[in-house]
Amino acid sequence: MEVQAGQEHEARAALRESAPFRDASERLLERIAAVARLVRVEQGARIYGAGEVADDLYIVASGRVEHVFKREVGAREALKRIGPGGVFGWAGLLLGQSARLASATAVEPATLLRIPAEDLVKILESEPVEGAAVMDRFGQMIQRDFTVPTFLAQVRRLSGAPLTEEMSRFSLTMYRISLWVKSPRPYLMMIGFAIFLGTWYLAVEVWRLPRFRDMPGLTVVVKEWLSPNPTYGLSVYTAEYYQHIWVSIWRVTQAFFLATALGVPLGLLMGWSPRFKEYVFPIFEMLRPIPILAWVPLAIVMFIATESAVIFLAFLASFFATALNTMLGVQSIDESYVRAAHCLGAKRWQVFRHVIIPGALPFIFTGLQISIGVCWFSLVAAEMVSGQYGLGYVINTSYVMVRYPTIIIGMATLGIVGYATSALVRIAGDYLMQWRVRELALSEG
Amino acid sequence: MEMTKSSGAEVKTRGHILIEDVVKVYDPEGAAVMAVDHCSLEIEAGEICMIVGPSGCGKTTLLNAIAGFHEITSGRILLDGEVLCSAQKPRAEPGPDRIVVFQNGALFPWKTNLENVVFGPVMQGRMTKAEALDRGRAMMADAGLAGVEHNYPGEVSSGMRRRVEIVRALMNNPAVLLLDEPYRALDSLTKSVMHEALLEIYYKNKVTIFFITHDLEEAIFLGHRVAIMTTRPCKPKKLLTVDIPHPRDYSVLTSKRFRELMQETSEAVHEEARKAFQAGEREG
Repeated sequence: MEVQAGQEHEARAALRESAPFRDASERLLERIAAVARLVRVEQGARIYGAGEVADDLYIVASGRVEHVFKREVGAREALKRIGPGGVFGWAGLLLGQSARLASATAVEPATLLRIPAEDLVKILESEPVEGAAVMDRFGQMIQRDFTVPTFLAQVRRLSGAPLTEEMSRFSLTMYRISLWVKSPRPYLMMIGFAIFLGTWYLAVEVWRLPRFRDMPGLTVVVKEWLSPNPTYGLSVYTAEYYQHIWVSIWRVTQAFFLATALGVPLGLLMGWSPRFKEYVFPIFEMLRPIPILAWVPLAIVMFIATESAVIFLAFLASFFATALNTMLGVQSIDESYVRAAHCLGAKRWQVFRHVIIPGALPFIFTGLQISIGVCWFSLVAAEMVSGQYGLGYVINTSYVMVRYPTIIIGMATLGIVGYATSALVRIAGDYLMQWRVRELALSEG
Repeated sequence: MEMTKSSGAEVKTRGHILIEDVVKVYDPEGAAVMAVDHCSLEIEAGEICMIVGPSGCGKTTLLNAIAGFHEITSGRILLDGEVLCSAQKPRAEPGPDRIVVFQNGALFPWKTNLENVVFGPVMQGRMTKAEALDRGRAMMADAGLAGVEHNYPGEVSSGMRRRVEIVRALMNNPAVLLLDEPYRALDSLTKSVMHEALLEIYYKNKVTIFFITHDLEEAIFLGHRVAIMTTRPCKPKKLLTVDIPHPRDYSVLTSKRFRELMQETSEAVHEEARKAFQAGEREG
């Protein structure tokens, strides 16, 4: 028996009560409520039987429904009673399912919200970001609340015209960001920052603790940093500040790309050819532990221009990290992949291109993240020793000239710029390894 | 290797395997271990031959010799009259006429299911990318895999992954499928679905299947013949012809003949398992 329209409010309330739509936006609920209908069923009324066409999905608004899986489904608990907020009849949302897996009967007089599955899928597909999230939650709910084997409980992948490959990458990123904002993590991070900065402020400027008394305080540094007329000549308003940043970034970029361009092929070769490894690896392992600062004199002798010497030093540390991780990456590849590729008729270089390189990518990018870190580390060390511009140079000369707040400005800038470059490497890695991002996203969900 | 374009009837004439007196001795540290001992076995074209033995009995060594992953010490293996490997050429060349489906699955996780499926023909240059994609989509749809073409293997269930892997193998029109305990990691429910799916694929393609397992029930349900192997060194101990007609479905499991065959063979299998256990063989 149909209930008159104008009860959209009740429909939306019922949607809101159910697990998949709990966090959905009002706009989405409104669109779904528009295609849904409230129906009342008498006690003992049969709603549908197993094997029938799975066209509608139901949400219980009130009352109670008995849900019995047919035997072939292999549910651990075949019988389930579903109360208000419960969802049933979701077979239409499953991959490769079009028939009812169960029968449903009202055991009390019940009010049900009935949603045509195809309409629902269309609406979800038109909202690439939210739709994917709701569909995901359907998947989770089915796996959590119903004891069907997981291979059956795979929800459909939303596709449709607007959802191109690029779009789905974008929507995945958006979905992860929205998860992040909803999780406690960003707020914990803010609290962490507040405690850190608060301690600094109190220790230096309020309590004036022994050892902290002579340090530049938080307010002094921030004022200097943001001042149009800085006392010591360096702030966000001075062109010089950006020149230092730019010079350091440019040096790191050159060193990092050079290290990647040489380190990745070297690592791939060492991992791929045992013979090549025999030649190179022992020398490699002898050179690797030598600290960068020990290379300074040699670098100055080797390169007449200080600029090249600084880049060389930054390059060196980065190169070792990249090459080593790449080699480990190749060695970590499961032998079956190589064998499978040979079976399928791939030639040696095709195996290299289609198995070795993509298989090693996760390790390569771990290596590149370490590499960009040590690149900054050795750059600043090199800039302190020689060089005329750059953030390391700022920190060192500010110390000599007793411009203490500028030291902190240089350090904080290094932290921010270093973090940003590291994030860029991570984003590049995620972009190249969608398969991994998706696997991880699924295992988190 | 020249492959004739074949469809249907012609397939049955390919895939005859003859294993003659094969010996495999591992000699890692001077202490010779005999993994396969004068093993001879003939597998008819288009037959499902199940190789049953306890874990670590050396049956995978035999599979690796056919596939070309390992050398043999002596004897020879022929495929359709051509020598794959012998004492003179101890290692066969791996190729798309004999495709292995691995125990833990070896779909490339960095390629989508469809990219995995078209990998063989595209690498061999046998089809253009567009042809391969068309054929791949059709074969996936045929195996009940429509809708997951653009998912990565890590995103679908393990049962589906196994099916994708078999489709990837069949795309190459192989003479033999070599399956190395492919359903070992699956729960028994998924396994039963996979068995029927495999038979369904087999009835359409009639490819020779060399299937390693330690599950006797699985062996009798699927196989035309079951070879029960002795534990290391490995050679056939008992050959059983399963006289239950194909096509089969799951009702076979409860039939009287099935129970009889189980009884007839379980003693032999159990004996080998006990021996393997006492010898303390490592899995492998």
